[in-house]
Amino acid sequence: MSHADTAMTEAELIRHATYYRASPALQGRIRTSLRFVRSPGRFDGWARGFAMAATVAAVAVVSWKGALLAAAPAADDELAREVTTAHIRSLIAEGHLHDVLSTDRHTVKPWFSGKLDFAPPVEDFADAGLRLTGGRLDYLAGRPVAALTYAHQKHVVNLFVWPAQTPRDVSPVALSRQGYSMQHWIEAGMSYWLVADVEPRQLVSLANVVRKVP
Amino acid sequence: MSLETRFESMVMPQLDAAYNLARWITRNPHDADDVVQEAMLRAFRFFGDFRGTEVRPWLLAIVRNVAYTWLDKNRSSDTVEFDEMAIPGVEAERPYSSYSEQNPEVIVLQSATSRLVNQAIESLPVAYREVIVMRELEELSYKDIAAIAGIPIGTVMSRLARGREMLRSSLEVRMRKAS
Repeated sequence: MSHADTAMTEAELIRHATYYRASPALQGRIRTSLRFVRSPGRFDGWARGFAMAATVAAVAVVSWKGALLAAAPAADDELAREVTTAHIRSLIAEGHLHDVLSTDRHTVKPWFSGKLDFAPPVEDFADAGLRLTGGRLDYLAGRPVAALTYAHQKHVVNLFVWPAQTPRDVSPVALSRQGYSMQHWIEAGMSYWLVADVEPRQLVSLANVVRKVP
Repeated sequence: MSLETRFESMVMPQLDAAYNLARWITRNPHDADDVVQEAMLRAFRFFGDFRGTEVRPWLLAIVRNVAYTWLDKNRSSDTVEFDEMAIPGVEAERPYSSYSEQNPEVIVLQSATSRLVNQAIESLPVAYREVIVMRELEELSYKDIAAIAGIPIGTVMSRLARGREMLRSSLEVRMRKAS
C-alpha cells in the first residue's frame, strides 16, 4: 500500500470494490428454469381454465392438483422402479456410491458444475440427523441427474435431483418398491426423489428435513 | 408484447444487478447463484402484476427478500437485531471467514486495493453492507434503497453515514496491517 492509497477517502476507495456479475452458467440455468414456467403446458391451460371458471381460487388449486395426481401415477411408477434400481446399484457396486466424497457442501456443489446442465441444491442436514457424505452423477428419466448421498444412522440415503418437467410444486408422494421407501416431490422447478431402506414414516420426516418443513 | 418477451427485455438485463446484491449479502458465489435463481423465478411469477416503470428496484427487493430468507436459514446470527448505536465491530455476527480470502483464484484476479476494500465491506454487518452496496456500487437513489430495504429514507441516510464510518476505520486498520 502506498501512502497515496491511505490518503484516499473511503468514497474513492470504494470504487475499487468488486461489482460481481452473473456467470454465463447462471444465466443459462435461469433461462432453462424459466422455460418450464414459460411454455404453458397442458396442465397450465387446465389450471387457467379452472381459475377462470371457479369463483374461489382454492377450488382451482384443488382441481388442478387432482388433475395432476390422476395423471401422475403411470410415469411415477416407471420412475420409482428406476430410482430403486439406481439406489440398489449405488449400494452393491464397489465404489459406485460416490464420485465425490465429502461432507462439505462447498466441495460437493462445485463438483457438479460442468458435469450437469443445472446446479443441484446441495445442503448438509447433519444437525437433523441427515449427514451429507458425498455425491455422484446418475442417469434417470432419460437424463443425467445429481445423486446426493446422506447417512441417517446406519442407513444410506440417496437424494436424486434434476430439473422438473413442470414448474408447479408438487407435495411429497410416498412410494415403496422392494422394501425401499421413497418420497417424491417437486419444488422450485426441481424434481426430488429421496430413497432409503427405512420405514416409510421415517422417510417422511427425512423428506421434511430436506424440504425444511418443521 | 408477450409477458415472456417483456420479461426477457426488461428483467433479464438486470441480472448482474441482482447477482451483485445477492453476492454481497450472502458473501459467497454459490449461495448467490441459488438466491438469484430463486429470485428470478419469483420475479417471473410476479411480473404479470408489475405495474411500475423501474424494474431494477422492484427486482432487487425480491432478491433481497430471498437472500434474507437464505440468511435466516443458514446463519441466523447474521440478521440478528442490532443496536444502531452499537460500537463498530461488536455486533453479534457469526465469526466469518471471507470466501475471497480462502480462494486463491479469486485473489489473483483482484488488485491489492480491491481485495482490502472488498474484505472491509464484507466485514460490515449486513444492514450496513447492503445500503453501502446499493448506494455506492449500484448507485441507487435514497428513495429506491428505502423502498428495497423497507426502511425510512432517514434510516437509509443514517445507515450509510454509519456504514461509511465503519468502513473507513476498518480500511485504516487493514491498510496499516498491509503496509
